[in-house]
Amino acid sequence: MPKAIGVLETRGMASLLSATDAMLKVSDVAVVGRHGIGSGWVTVVIEGSVADVQTAIETGTVEAQRYGELIGAETIARPESRGQNAMPHGSSVPQSAADVRALGIVETQGLAPLIAAADAMVKAAAVELCGWAFIGGALCHAVVRGDVAAVQAAVAAGRRAAEAVGSVYATLVLPQPISGLVSMLPIQPDQQVSARGALGVVETIGYATVVAASDAMVKAADVEIQRLSIGSGGRIAALAVGSLDDVQAAVSAGKAVAQAVGELDGATLLSRPDAMTMSCFAGVVAGVRGEETRQALGLIETRSTVALVRAVDQMLKAADVAYEGSYKVGYFLTASAVRGDVGAVRVAIEAGAQEAAKHGELVTAHVIPQLYGDVELRLPHQ
Amino acid sequence: MPAAIGLIEVEGVAGIIVAADAAVKAADVELLGWDSIGGFTTVFFSGSISDVGAALSSGSEAARHVVEHVVAAPVTQPSQACLRFVSYPVQHEVDVRSGALGLIETRGYAAHVYTDDEMVKTAAVDVVAVLTVHNRVVCSLVQGDVGAVREAIARAETRLRDYPHLMSTAVLPQPRPEVLQAFVAPLSGDSNA
Repeated sequence: MPKAIGVLETRGMASLLSATDAMLKVSDVAVVGRHGIGSGWVTVVIEGSVADVQTAIETGTVEAQRYGELIGAETIARPESRGQNAMPHGSSVPQSAADVRALGIVETQGLAPLIAAADAMVKAAAVELCGWAFIGGALCHAVVRGDVAAVQAAVAAGRRAAEAVGSVYATLVLPQPISGLVSMLPIQPDQQVSARGALGVVETIGYATVVAASDAMVKAADVEIQRLSIGSGGRIAALAVGSLDDVQAAVSAGKAVAQAVGELDGATLLSRPDAMTMSCFAGVVAGVRGEETRQALGLIETRSTVALVRAVDQMLKAADVAYEGSYKVGYFLTASAVRGDVGAVRVAIEAGAQEAAKHGELVTAHVIPQLYGDVELRLPHQ
Repeated sequence: MPAAIGLIEVEGVAGIIVAADAAVKAADVELLGWDSIGGFTTVFFSGSISDVGAALSSGSEAARHVVEHVVAAPVTQPSQACLRFVSYPVQHEVDVRSGALGLIETRGYAAHVYTDDEMVKTAAVDVVAVLTVHNRVVCSLVQGDVGAVREAIARAETRLRDYPHLMSTAVLPQPRPEVLQAFVAPLSGDSNA
């Protein structure tokens, strides 16, 4: 006997989690899949008898609207397997052990406010920071668990901290989440990161800008770039650690360069980040390149693949530079990097920028004569 | 390296599939694959300069029936790096089925699950792939006899009329196998959000 399925789509993870929790509690349904299609639009698929699924979807629809935007909800009474097999949600959702503790979620636009919120949460009350994730459209969320009162206090503190830095999309406290919900949380394995000194975050729109900002940060003060965040909704952040003085100097230099080269989205500085915050966000990511090079780096960023391919082709023809890699950060942005002697890279970037502007929107064309320190090893393009 | 490569870029993936099919039918060009950035997709093909020119004009004209804005450009004497932008190359070794191809593209996922169910119930078609190419764009690919595909797409269009996010639909009565190898093979069942 085939079971009915229900599909519910929201913008934002807080909304989806509250709806899923309500659906699993109100009737006998199970989560069989979930899927994200970018721009923060996320979907959960449930399964059960027709009446159960209908009841669940009705409840979920109401619940989703309390914490965000409902995109759509459908019940399919008798799903046809030929229609469902090709759907990307088909993968089964792993069942996890029950964890009856309360759950708190803060969802923000961009990573800088989220890190501020996460740190405020673990400091405000006895809660455990489980993890964080991007769902596209610059939306990202962090999850804490603990006693109900602790989670409430933590989420309230997290919201205040995030609002001071940037924009909060939603917050949610689930006093007693149903066990099936655990599989939808971004639970990260513990990383050992020593919480030494301060943490600085500079978040930009576009990849070329964040590379320029990272370079400026390590040149301005004695800080280490731990990692660049995953690009999402056009935003990408550089995370730097060092002593408070150094990080302060680095963040202000990074902000200034980001504004000069492209668009700065936000920045935050945690003078004494909690060990949990560091382990959750600031694990070191090793880059793909093993060795340092003293060659100049040229970056071109566009909002069109056609313009970028034309630009890269033109750059390689214009001067003695080598193509190094590309990176996409969402929001239609796509960037490419070339390497060579400073003079050659300058000529190439100039030629590439002219070519790109003819075929689409040129966002950034930037030359860094010499990258400094570990920045080289943290760049995700290859 | 080929003498030239041709690039066509549109919003969403339905228009680019139509463009790819028209391009490889119009001239002696080889389909290389495609790429996507936040909902804009680009198809790549190679050949002689005049073949690429002919394929570009046919491909972009076909795409204009499906989407509003089409960017088309050739790169002559392309450098090796140009080919690195092909994220989803044609998978020549994969067997694809013959038959017409129907495309329906929306923003949003929930309506798609429902629509796909409607289509396979309406006519003898199978959903062979669902492409989610960033920025909320979801495109379903169905295959079957031409008549069945037309019926299924028409039904889906009717169904989605109440839904605010329908982007485009198209039916290719006889798509070239390499088009299917490029768009059906690499992403069927894969999440690319």
